Amino acid sequence: MSRPVVSEADIRVWCLDYLGRNFADASLAGDPDASFAELGLDSVHAAHFIVELEEWLGVELDPELIYEHPTVADLARHVFARHFAGDSGDARPD
Amino acid sequence: MPGPTDSEAAALAGLRSLADLLHYRATVQPDDRAYLVLSDRGNAERAITFGALAGAAEALARRIAARSEPGDRALLLCPTGIDFMIGFFGCMLAGVVAVPIMLPRRTGARDASVAIAADCTPRLAIAPASVVGARGTELAERFGSSRIEWLSVEETEEAPEIPPKPAAQHDLAFLQYTSGSTAAPKGVMVSHANLLANLDMIRRACGNTRESTYVSWVPLYHDMGLITSALQTLYVGALCVFLAPVAFVQRPLVWLRAISDYRAAVAGGPNFAFDLCVERSRPDQLNGIDLSCWKIAFNSAEPIRAETLRRFARHFARSGFSAAALYPAYGMAEATVMATAGRPGGGAAIREFSRDGLARRRAVPPRDAADAQVLVGSGKAIAPGRVAIVDPETGRPLEPGRIGEVWVAGPHVARGYWRNGAATATTFGARLADPPRDGEGSGWLRSGDLGFLDSSGELFIAGRIKDVVIIRGINHYPQDIEDTVQRCHPALRPHGGAAFAIEGGDEAEGLVILQEVERTERHRIAPDEIAARIRAAVVGAHDIMPFEIVLLRPGSLPLTTSGKIQRGLSRQLWQTGALDRL
Repeated sequence: MSRPVVSEADIRVWCLDYLGRNFADASLAGDPDASFAELGLDSVHAAHFIVELEEWLGVELDPELIYEHPTVADLARHVFARHFAGDSGDARPD
Repeated sequence: MPGPTDSEAAALAGLRSLADLLHYRATVQPDDRAYLVLSDRGNAERAITFGALAGAAEALARRIAARSEPGDRALLLCPTGIDFMIGFFGCMLAGVVAVPIMLPRRTGARDASVAIAADCTPRLAIAPASVVGARGTELAERFGSSRIEWLSVEETEEAPEIPPKPAAQHDLAFLQYTSGSTAAPKGVMVSHANLLANLDMIRRACGNTRESTYVSWVPLYHDMGLITSALQTLYVGALCVFLAPVAFVQRPLVWLRAISDYRAAVAGGPNFAFDLCVERSRPDQLNGIDLSCWKIAFNSAEPIRAETLRRFARHFARSGFSAAALYPAYGMAEATVMATAGRPGGGAAIREFSRDGLARRRAVPPRDAADAQVLVGSGKAIAPGRVAIVDPETGRPLEPGRIGEVWVAGPHVARGYWRNGAATATTFGARLADPPRDGEGSGWLRSGDLGFLDSSGELFIAGRIKDVVIIRGINHYPQDIEDTVQRCHPALRPHGGAAFAIEGGDEAEGLVILQEVERTERHRIAPDEIAARIRAAVVGAHDIMPFEIVLLRPGSLPLTTSGKIQRGLSRQLWQTGALDRL
């Protein structure tokens, strides 16, 4: 199965949507600069979030990632740069 | 007909220490695998035989002995896996007291490790070379002590010739820091005799043999990971397959698949683990998983929910799981680990009681469906251990069906709390007012839990007296959480908060935080922002997502006569919706 070609914005939108569905907090919903901790993600919820993101993207991610990149904006930037920055059209690195 | 198991039981009964145990296994089955570590995706990564484990532990013990005296403490900062076991047994062979602790998160603000290091004044800290290399300096700074010498588990030097001095039966084997607040941790003093007694109780309760393969994901700094799983398999000569805790949390099916692949007989965890397996698996992912080998699915360390057990048994029946394998158990670090347990193949005792009756501290049948409260039995006292239900005010034992405090006695009850005579006297020195039999009056451990026995001796836990919040098998102390909250924003009143656990029937335990806001700040603050700040602080310091955060006007919370917040009453006000929210 081939991996979808995604942009940094796609990753950000997916993350905000996931967090909005699972950790609804009116004041923080949709804010890419709110920290995962402010949203209340403990280690178990963080692990599940990363697994879902992994499965959507088709790449392996470190479960500790959210501690190094503590907001959606940071995380999307990092994941895109690390795994997708070279992608264009059909050229998909493994 | 006397068989190998009888001679083995006799050999086990003759052991005096964990060092004896390791030598015994390395002698009788040197080439059998003791531990096997799986990758996060479930592939076998590293294994060690009993013989190789003894060799590695012996080499480490010589290096430990060259740097310490018997009875010195050594922090053990190893991730779940073989290095942890080598480090632990290195301490055992050198007669040094092991102190397993969770490796502090690099970015973690406050955690218990600093106070634990201050309390047990370790001579050594033992960790894998990778941790010593990458984090030795940072951790040494964190512990604020230059007197701690760091030692890597891996051999990096010639093992000195100094033969380590073996520990005696009543010497301490390790300190288990799961009690007490972050600020004032209490280390349970577990002796070699305590460990061997409880390991033998678990062996008999589970009917374990060399064939009783375990698959365990529970962290080794937790007594359920270390004693119930990793030391129990070594005790009976079985294989323990390790999976990293985070790998289990991410993909619980890796655990179930490993149970199936390795034909494991025993595996378990706190209640939340069974929920996670159901919530995070789709039917199509279960192909090829055969759980018919799983004979004992132990469940303890947090309240056991009937709905969790039923749902799990239903969900995995198609994979060959039998509800008869459900194996609730009860215990605490102060009793080494396990005090009561079910019967292999007996399943869980799930019963209905009257909610009103339970509120009046009596276990009676429900009047009708609305009055029914479902409770899960935690099994019966494992001989030679004893369990009594006691009126905490008078110290008198109560008859079956009456709710009181759960008291525990036996050779598995630990020696007390490390250098804390007052707490030791309160918790460990309990006396029964009217012992049922002579000689059973003293030596009782007060659990702080409420429960009752049915007429068959099955223990049902029905609440707790102590202020503790148990989330995913980890004990959290309300005063620590309240302190974290009050430090995170100047508008939050010091000593003006209450943190407590709520258990809603079949809901998992949740954390509620009530906090008063300073009068002068009340109109200047944005409640949403403060709630987010509190959430971030509590997640950062305690790794708990609060169920609810409620901000209150000053003076809303009820006080004791000495001016402290009454947590129990605060919880009642929250439950009845009687709080004046901001």
